Amino acid sequence: MAKISGLQREVLSLYRQCLRACRKKPADTRLNFYNHTRSEFHRNSSINKKDFGTIEYLIRSGRKKLETYEDPGIRNIANL
Amino acid sequence: MFRTTLPRLARHLVYSAPRYQAPIARPIARSSLFQSTRITPTSTAFQAARCYSASAGLSHEEVQGRIMDLLKNFDKVQDVSKLNGESHFHNDLGLDSLDTVEVVMAIEEEFSIEIPDKEADAIHSIKQAVDYILAQPDAH
Repeated sequence: MAKISGLQREVLSLYRQCLRACRKKPADTRLNFYNHTRSEFHRNSSINKKDFGTIEYLIRSGRKKLETYEDPGIRNIANL
Repeated sequence: MFRTTLPRLARHLVYSAPRYQAPIARPIARSSLFQSTRITPTSTAFQAARCYSASAGLSHEEVQGRIMDLLKNFDKVQDVSKLNGESHFHNDLGLDSLDTVEVVMAIEEEFSIEIPDKEADAIHSIKQAVDYILAQPDAH
């Protein structure tokens, strides 16, 4: 695999944080969180890696979303 | 009189018995202070009490087998026939960088350890993962 850029590393780090947050969710709905996280990241995986503006925006909104969903009060998520 | 001697004799036997047994099968509470020095990680003897602080002593084959099983069940792996001890996640198995993160996270969970980001980024193949796990004393 080619050496990854700083921005790519940031995305992967966010992905890791999200997956770690999923582990803290209740066992019966954890799979919904996993599926949601996976589809959200893979949905945008075809973006050109030179499109810095879009990627930075997505990272920012991803972090916001992680902050929101990390709340232990959120116990389930729509599994589309 | 005979009735009271029998239990006393039995109790005496029970208390004196462990002294003649192998140190490994001793009750943990009686010699917990000395146990860590007696059980070596390479010991293959039967162990009645499990010492959670002792190294599990994972073998290369076991680690590799568990990682391969994990990948076999991973839906993104396109060609299971290419799965072997040397497989590269991207070149052989067709996984992208996001999938690789997922695999490394699954390995973390399987061996109950936490891999820091920096080291996780360096794992790109089964061989690297196996070597990393074998280098971790608390993986089990």
